[in-house]
Amino acid sequence: MKSRSLARRGILNGNPVAMVLVGLCPAAAVTTRVIDALWMSVGVFSVLLLTRVCLSLLSLLRDGESAGPSADLRGGEGAPRIRWLGALLIASCLTASFELVLLAFAPEESASLGIYAPLIAVNCIVLDRVEPAAGGKHIPTALLDACGLGLGFAFALLLIAAVREVLGAGTITLFPAGTFGGTIEIPGLSSAPARALGYAGGGLICLGYLAGLSRLLRRRPVPAAEEAGTA
Amino acid sequence: MKKRPKILLRGGVTPPSLPYSAPAASGIVNASIPGFALIPMLQHAGQPARCLVKAGDPVQEGMLIGRAEGASSANVHSSIPGTVVEVRSCRGADGRISPAVLIEFGGEFAATGRRREPTDWEKLSRADLLGRIQAAGVVGLGGGLVPTHLKLARPAGRTVDLFIANGMDSEPSLVGDAALMREKSREIAAGMRICQAILGASRVVLAVGDAEEAGIAPAFRALFGEGGGGFEVAVFSSRYPQGHEQLLQAAVTGTTPVPTGNGAGAAVDAGCVVLNVATIHAVYEAVVLGRPMIERVVTVSGSSIRRPRCLKVRVGTPVGELFEECGGLTEAPAKVVLGGPMRGLAVDSLDFPVTKGVSGVITFDHSDARVGPELPCIHCGACVDVCPWDLVPTRLHKLIERGEIGQALSEGLASCTECGCCAFSCPSRIPLVESLRRGKKGGQARHG
Amino acid sequence: MAEPRPLAVSPAPHVVGLVSSLRLTWTVAGCLLPAAAWGVFLFRVPALEVLGVAAGSALLAELLTSIFTRRVTLGDGSAFVTGLLIGLLMPPGAPLYVPAAASAFAILVVKQTFGGLGRNWMNPTAAGVVFALISWTGGMSQWLPVPGSAEGSAAVAPLEALRAAYAAGARPAGPLAVLSTQGYAWSGLDGRVLGWVNDHLLSWTGMVLPRGTFDLLIGNTAGRIGELSVPLLLLGAAWLLGRSVIRWQVPVAFLSVFCAASIVFGGLPLGRGWFAGGLYFQLFSGSIVLGAFFLATDTVTSPLTDPGRLIYGASLGVLLFFLRYFGALGDGVPLAIVLGNCLVPLIDRLTVLRGRARHREAA
Repeated sequence: MKSRSLARRGILNGNPVAMVLVGLCPAAAVTTRVIDALWMSVGVFSVLLLTRVCLSLLSLLRDGESAGPSADLRGGEGAPRIRWLGALLIASCLTASFELVLLAFAPEESASLGIYAPLIAVNCIVLDRVEPAAGGKHIPTALLDACGLGLGFAFALLLIAAVREVLGAGTITLFPAGTFGGTIEIPGLSSAPARALGYAGGGLICLGYLAGLSRLLRRRPVPAAEEAGTA
Repeated sequence: MKKRPKILLRGGVTPPSLPYSAPAASGIVNASIPGFALIPMLQHAGQPARCLVKAGDPVQEGMLIGRAEGASSANVHSSIPGTVVEVRSCRGADGRISPAVLIEFGGEFAATGRRREPTDWEKLSRADLLGRIQAAGVVGLGGGLVPTHLKLARPAGRTVDLFIANGMDSEPSLVGDAALMREKSREIAAGMRICQAILGASRVVLAVGDAEEAGIAPAFRALFGEGGGGFEVAVFSSRYPQGHEQLLQAAVTGTTPVPTGNGAGAAVDAGCVVLNVATIHAVYEAVVLGRPMIERVVTVSGSSIRRPRCLKVRVGTPVGELFEECGGLTEAPAKVVLGGPMRGLAVDSLDFPVTKGVSGVITFDHSDARVGPELPCIHCGACVDVCPWDLVPTRLHKLIERGEIGQALSEGLASCTECGCCAFSCPSRIPLVESLRRGKKGGQARHG
Repeated sequence: MAEPRPLAVSPAPHVVGLVSSLRLTWTVAGCLLPAAAWGVFLFRVPALEVLGVAAGSALLAELLTSIFTRRVTLGDGSAFVTGLLIGLLMPPGAPLYVPAAASAFAILVVKQTFGGLGRNWMNPTAAGVVFALISWTGGMSQWLPVPGSAEGSAAVAPLEALRAAYAAGARPAGPLAVLSTQGYAWSGLDGRVLGWVNDHLLSWTGMVLPRGTFDLLIGNTAGRIGELSVPLLLLGAAWLLGRSVIRWQVPVAFLSVFCAASIVFGGLPLGRGWFAGGLYFQLFSGSIVLGAFFLATDTVTSPLTDPGRLIYGASLGVLLFFLRYFGALGDGVPLAIVLGNCLVPLIDRLTVLRGRARHREAA
């Protein structure tokens, strides 16, 4: 599989939120403000990347360079459980680190994300990569795969957050910098936004439209070479 | 005798009385003999008859020109004297292609206008009676076109104790059966006794619609005598499709209608046989007078017909010629339908011949033929209310559109008799019957 | 002789019934007009603006989707009826972006995204109104006073006033009594008519009709544009029932279950005990009559069989009871319908195939 198209797949065709429909909880919950979505994306991206790399390193150490993708099947009864335990431990540690970083540098953001920051540890996108990680020991491939997914997640979340915050609250919340307070008020909308979009139901509607439009746009014929490559 | 009108039909519709129908009490007029008659070898359900004539052969009126061949087949006779012009292929009402004999009229009538000696049928054996019916090529005229000798032949080991004479016209605006019952009550009563004797049935029921009851029932009661021979008249409300064979049988016996395919065996399984009164009249003519089935009563109606009426038409007459018998057309019709308005076949040419299965001809002008745009299903449930077989047409339609024929079959698609009530009631003008028909064909193709 | 025109060949049946979907939809629109006219009569230009914007926005949204589907469906009337109904469920003083957005949401999101007419499973009108209620609670409470009301009084719809009164701790009593003690401004006409009726007709029974009875009867209070005049709504509903445009099962089940629950349990949350709920007030304030006969009877989002319709109506009644007495979002009717719509596929599954079981056996 070409590495370039692997990354692209995570963002477009294999976008976890819009196409594969995993990781929907944070996608609906933390997209009420753009800044929340940004921090969430950063968290998932870093945890995903590092977890994937660690798992690949581990399997490399365990099985050696020569083992093929089906090594996990020959790994014996205990191997999958060990692998999952390892994955959860690694992911939890990384998530805890991220939470501490958040507390240190953006404490109000930590409060705003609430329970969803610790939940990165069991995010479906992170855990979705436990099995392939056992087989794919090629570190650069693992890196690119995780990058693609993380960026795809970020892309989807930011898109949803932009729509929800602009229409649902009439603002765009970003990093405070200097005299800029961090919140951009949109004239007109901010006085009477459609607050329904700020609730979970509105979030799911936006998510649904994102998923639907992604599928609609995917109908474009894929170039033959790329299709052969990703088949 | 039970006389109250029964509404024993679940669902069904009462189509608005078409303003251009033949008058209810119209008599039957003999139509003129056609100059050319096109007689197909396949005018019945089953296999076509084998053609016995070729171009140039002279034929007599009533001569056998097609011999029954196959398990379910019937004889075909020439309806006019003359010469065979050619034997060509012709597409029948159900779309099947079969050979057809084109006869040019000429010569003398062998039987018309001459007195026949009636046979004393009570002296004949059962086998003789069936033989006469088979020789005459009698088929069911109520729409099923099942060869009558097959329907009356009682399979070994089965008893038939109920014989129903179906006097309910199968579709609204068809009045041929009622007219026949008024004019030929004696002959039909005799035919009913013949059928009863063949079947060995203990009960005979004449089913009529409540609109016709007053004019018809007294004559039949008089003919059979009060309480004689297990005869009774059952009156039903003239709701469509009460005249359908299985629905009628269920209504008479008071049971739940069993949805089965068509065929003679279905009703016999229940110990009951249903025959249309026009068929019974043909049975009488075949047994007592020795006449083959060469003509039938056709109801001609429509907004462009000057004088809608019932005609007695020779088989093979082109449909277009019937219009002149009815005073001609006031304008060119937009659509011509053979049969009734609910199940009839629209033909593309006025040369289509009247066959044994054509019970009516209806013309539609442009405003009648216009149906309206098809809109999406609005889930109103009208089709569910009117289906006499408890089906859910809208659901079946959606399943068939999605290609899920198997699921549709398991929800009862095979029970659909294409009566047309659902499509009639649909406010969105969805062609439900067409869709269900397509589904059934797809199911047959799949399951053989 | 001229070439004869070809004969049309089309499949059976060759006759169709008189009812058509077009006629059904436009008849509903027509039967809403008396109630709409009353609303416009009371609230003049603002009401007309709200109705116009709501209907116009719905039609525009439908036109927008026509560009994508390449088929103009404005003629089937369903977008117009959706827009009109949304307008009728708006308070007359609502800022115009509220009905516009509600109509656009109803048509674009609830109806067209799911496939257009006949394919939606949620009532577009009800969903649009709920969307507006959640998004702009302030905008949806912009009541206007009726002509002839006392000067300087802020206009509040009776149901909302009642809720506020109970929240402020009014002692348990009949709704109209509570409103009167809170100083709700009934019209002078109401006072005169009731005075006459109480003195001349009812004096021998000892019964006294409380202030507000007449106002509620003819719809002379603040409220949403289309919900006010129950008699005019019933007139339209009677026409629809008589013409078999709508069936009686859903509205009758809806109203009877709600009334029964109201009478039996209605007093409990107010501390008045059993069998002490106020039925007259509940029926004549808020949009329950409009909802029962015009919203809940939408065939696309109701069950297919008559038993199913009865179950659906009953569930709507139960839902509305809880929303009215225990909820706080508007008057509960659109929300009850939206929740009921979620039950309809289940109801259909239970009722539609039950009677067809013997086909499954025969197959």
